[in-house]
Amino acid sequence: MKSNHIPEIEEDQISTPYLDGLHIFVVDNLGMGKPSDLVQGTLDLLILKTLSLEAMHGWAIAKRIQQLSREVLQVQQGSLYPALHRLEQQGWIKAKWAESETGRQAKFYSLTAAGRGQLQKEAANWARLSSAIDLIVAEA
Amino acid sequence: MRWPEKFSIRLQMIFRRGRAVERLDDELRFHLDRQIAENLKAGMSPEQARSAALRSFGNPALVRDQAHDTWAGLWLERAVRDLRYAVRQLRKSPAYSLTAVCMLALGLGAPAAMYTVVDRVLLRPLPYDHPNQLVKIQESGSKGPGGWGGPYLDLHQWADAARLLHQIAFYGSDNLKAVSYLQSNAGITHVTAPIISSNLWDTLGVQPVLGRGFKPGTDWGSVSAEDANSILISDAVWRTAYNSDPHILGKSVQLNGVFHTIIGVMPRGLTFPYAGALPPVPLIWRPVIITAAEKVRAHGLPSYEAVARLAPGVSLQAAQAELSGIQSRIAQQYLESWEREQVNSIVLQSYGDTLVKDDVRKSLLALLGASAVLWLIACVNVAGLMLARASSRQREIAVRGALGASRWQIVRQLLTEGLVLSVLASLAGLALAQLTLRLFAHALIMQFGIHERLTPSLSVLAALVGLTVLTALFSSLWPAIGAARTAIEPALRQGSSQSGAGRSQHRLRAVLVVAQIALSLTLLAACGLLLRTLYTLRHVPLGFRTDHIVVANMSIPGYKFAGRNMLTDLYQPLLDRAEHMPGVQSAALMTEVPLGKTFSMIYTFAADGNSATDARQRETKSQFRAVTPEMQQVFAFSMARGRFFNSSDTPNSPAVVVVNRAFVRSFTGQDDLGKIIGTPLVNYGKNRRAIVIGVLDDERQVSLAQQSQPEIEVCMPQITPDSGLYKATEGIAMDLAVRTSRNPSSFMPDLRQLLRAASPDLADSNLTTMDQIVEDSYGSQQLATRLLEIFGGCALLLCVSGIYGLLAYLVHQRTRELGLRMALGAQRGQIMALVLRQAGWMLVVGSACGLALAWFSSVLLRMFLYGVQPHDPWTMFAVTAVLLVCGLASAWIPARRAAAIDPMQALRTE
Repeated sequence: MKSNHIPEIEEDQISTPYLDGLHIFVVDNLGMGKPSDLVQGTLDLLILKTLSLEAMHGWAIAKRIQQLSREVLQVQQGSLYPALHRLEQQGWIKAKWAESETGRQAKFYSLTAAGRGQLQKEAANWARLSSAIDLIVAEA
Repeated sequence: MRWPEKFSIRLQMIFRRGRAVERLDDELRFHLDRQIAENLKAGMSPEQARSAALRSFGNPALVRDQAHDTWAGLWLERAVRDLRYAVRQLRKSPAYSLTAVCMLALGLGAPAAMYTVVDRVLLRPLPYDHPNQLVKIQESGSKGPGGWGGPYLDLHQWADAARLLHQIAFYGSDNLKAVSYLQSNAGITHVTAPIISSNLWDTLGVQPVLGRGFKPGTDWGSVSAEDANSILISDAVWRTAYNSDPHILGKSVQLNGVFHTIIGVMPRGLTFPYAGALPPVPLIWRPVIITAAEKVRAHGLPSYEAVARLAPGVSLQAAQAELSGIQSRIAQQYLESWEREQVNSIVLQSYGDTLVKDDVRKSLLALLGASAVLWLIACVNVAGLMLARASSRQREIAVRGALGASRWQIVRQLLTEGLVLSVLASLAGLALAQLTLRLFAHALIMQFGIHERLTPSLSVLAALVGLTVLTALFSSLWPAIGAARTAIEPALRQGSSQSGAGRSQHRLRAVLVVAQIALSLTLLAACGLLLRTLYTLRHVPLGFRTDHIVVANMSIPGYKFAGRNMLTDLYQPLLDRAEHMPGVQSAALMTEVPLGKTFSMIYTFAADGNSATDARQRETKSQFRAVTPEMQQVFAFSMARGRFFNSSDTPNSPAVVVVNRAFVRSFTGQDDLGKIIGTPLVNYGKNRRAIVIGVLDDERQVSLAQQSQPEIEVCMPQITPDSGLYKATEGIAMDLAVRTSRNPSSFMPDLRQLLRAASPDLADSNLTTMDQIVEDSYGSQQLATRLLEIFGGCALLLCVSGIYGLLAYLVHQRTRELGLRMALGAQRGQIMALVLRQAGWMLVVGSACGLALAWFSSVLLRMFLYGVQPHDPWTMFAVTAVLLVCGLASAWIPARRAAAIDPMQALRTE
């Protein structure tokens, strides 16, 4: 089921081919139902990378991902939360309830030591995968 | 470290679930509020901001569920939720839940009770080292196993020659029932005191917990002379008779008047050789002393029971073959050829198998099977109930399916309900089982020797848990799958009936009812056959009267009367006093009352010679009793020829004996009673040969089901202390039979007073009535009949309720149709016939299948039956008739209700 909010893709944004593919994956599959494995892995990578800079709560993570990808990645925000909770169960990130910038209590996530190692592993995997796809795409 | 962190997160998830759920909601709400705030800042209106935020977020409920699903311990949470829901559903319909629980309780209680008994009698592990290596050795011959091991000479040769047997030990079997008198802290304790060889404990692999065993003597297996007066006591004796005295070793106590030293205490729970059931009195063990006479081959050597341990890795058959070879050599050493024939081979059995008689084992397993049939009937019945209930919950299940429950979730929910019912039922069933066992306590004592209160052991409880789960699966899986498979849309449609099932479901339920009827008929047929057996047994002509006779089974402390004449000092005064008690018509003493099973003696003739007469005389094994003349007044039996003993038979008058018809037939080979009168038979002493003066009519004196056995009765007043008969018959056990018109329960205390006055040791005697003894003699049939009556009755009840339930449901379903029929002109009688016809075809088909099943299963009952064939047509007919009548009666009420339908009302209902 296609979701009906595909943001306008400007011309100069198509210069990042792999992010473009990801964009379509993200939008298509995160409407209803479970994300596919590929998407799950990359979402984890994004979250871990974002949290490696500083600890933040879920909304801030969504905003940061949007910011850092220069508005290309409009992650369906709700899909972050299952990923965050899964990562927490697996022990890559840990959570703490603290006062946010607005004064309300919010759940802040931060990377654990094991999470740092996992981040490096995932980044390496992603580099391998994307270079493999590059090879195939560049061929044709 | 990842591990501890992960573990603590998991723990937190399990214990602070509710809190975590709240926090998740807070988290998501925070996100949404932030997004809305940002949208407002960007200039949108509040509604726009909200809808934009939701659009970019996604479905909050879905996100929440997805996040929740990642948590650990999800299965537990789901199970608890299912459980809570199941309990709520069951509470909402208490009638259904209660009915189902009651039915399942019946179905689970019966196997629980039977398995407790089976576990206790058949499956109890023996307290010895590697008990499956222990075997029992019996000499056998042309007449089959002799029933004992062998004389010392043979045992010694086995021990020397057998390579495949690791060790052989032996023990005395004669004195297992005789009571010995042990001096204890509180007076005299009755104990049983078998004699054992010095190597018995080594063979069994047990050691005394205190002290030591008997020291071996110079001869193999015998006990050293210095331990000739030592005894070993059991843990029960140590605790009850000596208050667990820590300084018990070396204590000198009197056993039967002779001083013995206690040299050791055996472990708790060791009751060799009674290992199958607890002995009625506590055990001590005495040493076996091998006399010089036993080492020389002669007639009438004392025999011992032999127990041995197989060498590691040796099979029973191999050891048997080796021993048989050895035995054929040993048999040549016997003096007479007829003796050799009886001992020329060996029978070897695993020791565990010898502890329970074969027919007892078979009967227990048959009863276990019957209880399993009852379980099956209960499960089938409850499955029918669940099918009905599932069909009435169609709409609810359809709604759940529409809301997103998968088929597996619905099945899981229904299975949980079934499991809750099963668990409740198993608790109730366990209570029922305990109640039943308590009710049958007397039968358990008599039949299986179980004296202690039976509680379910761990293995029984584990089996019950397994059976509970199986019950839940069996009774609720099919209805659950059926319910989950129903189409959602038709059930949700507005005009459709709230409940209702297709024809296939009706047929399924009808098939279940037919199955129930068939199984119930099997149990009822077995019950019917046994009832007939009991009736026949009760009316077997015994040959003597049993009413109004009170019996005292006395153990006589013979050692106290050493050197005296027990007849004049104990028995005659006792008899006189008993006869003069108020309300007593006559009283008699005898070594054992007929059917008594307390102290039976067998008299065998030692006729050397090979003629046919000699062989016949040797083979006559007669029941032997010493009785007083008053026995004829107490039991009112008749003489076929000659006279019974009377007051004219004294120590000075000619010695006389009485025999019975069966004896004459066996001893002389003919039926001529006149010839036996006057022939000399038994020696009362030197130069005192007794002649036969009378022949008794046949009576069932050993067992009701067995034909009359040959019997010889000697006259107690004529036995003097110098006669060989004195030692054999007096001073061990004696029964006092009193014919009284008084009520037994009021008479027994007075009798006990009398016994106590005669001798303090007699105060503990077992008092019973002749009627009770007769009842106990067909105890195994009685027990089986009572149990099968209960099973059969429950099965009938379940069946009737199954038929009623199905028909009531069908009538309810067809209310509209029946109303329409009546409006169109059908008579009430025709409507009733319609309903009854439905019940009728189920009953007929079920009965036919049931009769076929009963045909095969009643063959298993053969060992119980007496006087009736397993395929007796009258019984089958009567039982089927009972079932049909009950079935039709249960169908009557729904039929009446159907006929009473008001057509106008019916057409208006949904």
